Formats: sequence, structure tokens, C-alpha cells
Amino acid sequence: MSLITTYCHLSADHFSVNGELVATREKDAADSWFKQIYKEQEIVYPKFYKMDALSQAGFLASEVIKRVNKGLASKYQDDEIAMLFANQSSSADTDLRFLHSYEQNGAPSPSLFVYTLPNIVLGEIAIRNKWFGENMFAVLPKFAPGFFVDYGQIFLSTGAKAVLVGWLEVMGDQIEVFVALVESESEGGMDFNKHNLSKLAGLSHA
Amino acid sequence: MTYIGAEVIISPLGGTTAENWAAMQANRSGISLVKQAGFDNADLYLSKMLDLVADFKFEKLISDALSAVSENIDPAILTSERTIVIVSSTKGELDKNITDQFGKSIETLVSRFRLANQPIVLSNACISGVLAINAASNLIQAKVYDHAIVIGCDLISGFVVFGFQSLFAISDQPCAPFDASRKGITMGEGCGAVVVSETREIFKNGALQLLSGTSANDANHISGPSRTGEGLFRSVKKTLESNDVAPEEIDFICAHGTATVFNDEMESIAFDRIGLTNVPLSSLKGYFGHTLGAAGVIETAASMQMMRHGVLLKSLGYKESGTSIKLNVIAENIPSKPVTVLKTASGFGGGNASLIIKSL
Repeated sequence: MSLITTYCHLSADHFSVNGELVATREKDAADSWFKQIYKEQEIVYPKFYKMDALSQAGFLASEVIKRVNKGLASKYQDDEIAMLFANQSSSADTDLRFLHSYEQNGAPSPSLFVYTLPNIVLGEIAIRNKWFGENMFAVLPKFAPGFFVDYGQIFLSTGAKAVLVGWLEVMGDQIEVFVALVESESEGGMDFNKHNLSKLAGLSHA
Repeated sequence: MTYIGAEVIISPLGGTTAENWAAMQANRSGISLVKQAGFDNADLYLSKMLDLVADFKFEKLISDALSAVSENIDPAILTSERTIVIVSSTKGELDKNITDQFGKSIETLVSRFRLANQPIVLSNACISGVLAINAASNLIQAKVYDHAIVIGCDLISGFVVFGFQSLFAISDQPCAPFDASRKGITMGEGCGAVVVSETREIFKNGALQLLSGTSANDANHISGPSRTGEGLFRSVKKTLESNDVAPEEIDFICAHGTATVFNDEMESIAFDRIGLTNVPLSSLKGYFGHTLGAAGVIETAASMQMMRHGVLLKSLGYKESGTSIKLNVIAENIPSKPVTVLKTASGFGGGNASLIIKSL
């Protein structure tokens, strides 16, 4: 049986894990909301500053999930944690910035261009953790619990022992992030099914 | 067993699979010099569909591909509740709607062809196509669906051309994968499709066998290939082992072969680590350019055509080995009936994927 063992939400103002608030946005701060979380949580990973917003969101969610699930890093082999992410607007937030770089600022920016793919966030998390497992990023019209459960189970039946599933929608100030850890060998948690995933995600359109 | 067939290729080489095959067999390339295509108004070599005139090009191509597919399978499959359409693409209709690059095209596809299920768009850089075919197979084996139609499609836009220019990744000559003089990629556009099914009888022109593959991340760099080929090595090793296929059984490799210095070098190291250095190998980028999210589907479809016609096509642009491990790159077309074919892909985000197709 596979269980949802940890989950996290990131919205425009709040960051929570397992339903408990971790951080609230400081409206007047000079730092962006994601940088506020990074600093406040005392995460040390300088590459974070180079990432685009989508990658930062996925990175923060995965870091806080690891933090509350302490054994995660040592419990599995380096290819036993798969990642299954999806969103609605692909990498559009960064695509717009890249478009701006050559239409307004005079030259296409290579450092922006490399983030104009939604699956780059998977690469960033893989690099951070040295995870060599399976990755998949889908673009769907809305949060689809059935997709995550169907394909998450496929990962778990073809070699993975844990899957990070996540809806990572980041478009300007609109932030709707839900990431959950599903494990096939675990003591506690909620059944990994559509109903529970949908309930935990609590996304407005789901 | 999972079957694969009804392959479709739409590219600068032709609007039908037959036209594409005829051009490929004659070793013609879709690459031409396109005037003022670059950010600096430089002329660039591109594999571009110069006669493609449509308001919504992405939508037109995926619709045309689905129409072509439907002629080669039992027509009831298209609208069946047991069928899923999986689209692999990086940028979709970006030029029309940058904040919703797939929404409208997919909606149109659903209503025009009366699809029963919401299609899945997979966007995993250059491994999207191979990943999508593997996903099709996995969903069928897990009994979630009985059939899957996989469509890979990407277009050349200023957006991607300027981006690759900014990375100094574009060759000033038609790309030359694995060759000593290779200088980088040639961008391409096109659309490919295949049908994956648990039922052999749905295919009008006969089926091949699909051995579902695997993917693995390099965990190394978001835009540069691993120097040790770790992700590709792991993916191919897992694909071989999970299907109980020995490296010696592989008759042909349809490699990714982008023609950048580092990618082709990485592939040579990964194939050497698995014991595949002597296997006949081609990159098809010299025919189609690098079609990004469509590449895995177009190149798998082209490999299937090679299997059906009994010819291994030469790797266009290859003259002399330019990798530290010398691979068995095909320099002239070889009449051959390969039984077991390996397709690989590697891309940004550290992704690597592979699959195997067998003759029946």
C-alpha cells in the first residue's frame, strides 16, 4: 500500500507543511516571497539565487518535505525517488521574462533561456539531492488527482519506492503549489488515492 | 505484450510518412539555409517547413497527425473511452499564447476528433517524445487505458532560435552528429505520431513490439550533459535489464546525437559503459534537425520505418569519428533487418530516456 506521508502548500502569502504554517509573507520586505522563505528557513544552497520562480517553488517544497521527513535522504537509494509534477501554464512566467530580454532589453538572455522549460525544476531538485530516478512533467488544464495517482502508482510499481507528486503553478503573483511525498513502505500516512490527494491539495479548481 | 504501429511523420521532408521515408532513403535532408532567421538577422541553417501556412500551426500539425493515424488503425479506437492521447512538446503554440501554450490546441483536438479523455501533454525538454511513448506503454500495462496515441510536435520560433543562439549552441553548417567537425545543433520542426496498444489487430499495416523503457536524471547540470553519461547509462541499463535484453542483442541504436561537442561525447561514453560501442548507430538530426519535444516520436517513427523496409539509414553529416570513444556510426545505408532497436534521448533538466522496439 502506498501512503501520502508528508505534504506542503505554497501560496502567494503562506507556506505550510502538513497543514501547519511555516512562513507568512512579509508584504514590505525587499526580498521576494521565495527568498524570504529561503532565508527564514535557513536553507543554504547558493544555486537557489540563480533559479527561476518555478524552480524555487519546487525546491522550497522539496526542502521542507525533507526537513520534516528526516530519514528521507538515507532511506532510499539514489534512483528510488521519482518525481511527477504538473501545472497549467508550463514555464510561462519565465518565458515572458525571456521574451522581454530580446524584445525590450536588446539581447536574448542565456541565463533566462535555460529556465524556459517546466521540467528544469525536476533537474534542480535532482541535482540538489543527487537523485537519479525517473522524472515527468505534464501540462494539464487543471489539477488532476487521477493523473497523479495513476502515474504515481506506475512509478511505484516499476522500481521507485517513493514519489514526490506536485502541482506547481507559478505565474507572476499567482502561486498555487502543492507537493506531496508518497511512499510505498511507510508506517503512517493517508492512502494515496484521488479522494485524499484532492482533499489535501485543497486547490480551488480541483 | 504491447504493440506499436501506425507511425506518422510530417516534416520538411514531406507531409506523409511515405514521402518522408522516400526522402530519407535517398539521404535527403530537410535542412536548408533560411534567410534572416537569427536574432542578428543572420541566415541560419534550419529544418523548417517552409510551405506550412496556417494561422495555428501547432494545432494544424497535431490535427493532421491524428487524421493520418486514424487511417492506419481501427477507426473506433480514436473515440474509445479506453484511449488516451499523449502529446509531447516543449513550446506548443507559444507564438499565439505564451501563457497558455497548449490549452486551445488540445481543446480543439478533443472536440474535432471527439476524444473521450482529456489528453496529457508531457513537456520534458528533448526527452519528451521518448518519455511519452514509455508513458503510453506504462499506462496500458497498468490497465489504465487499452490504447494510446502519442503525438510529438514542436515548431521553430524566434523564441527557441534566439535562445539557442544565446547559448552559442547553433552550428553555422548543417549539423554533423558524432563527426569530428561537428559545431552544434540545427533547429528543426515537425510532428510525429505512433499508436501504442495492447491489441495487435487494431493496426492495418502491421505492428511491432514495444518494450517499455525507463528514464533517469543526470543530477548533474540543468543545461549541460553529464561528462560520464550517468543518466543515459542508467536509463539504458534499466531499460535493457527490465526487459531482459542483453546489450549483444541490440541490432541498431537510434541515438539522440544533437551534434554539440559535449552531447555526442557524453553519449559515446554512456554507450561504451554499457558495451554498445560496436552496435550500428545513427542520429537522425541530419535529416530532421533537432525537433525538441517532437524528436523522440519522429525518430522512433523513422526507426520503425527502417525496421519495416529493412534498411539502416546512414547518419547524415558523419564522416570521421569525433568522440573519444569511437562508435559504430553508420556512414552508408545498410540493407539490414534489425530485430531489436534501441532509441535514446537526452535533454535539458538532466533528463535521459530510452526504449526498445522489436520486430515481430
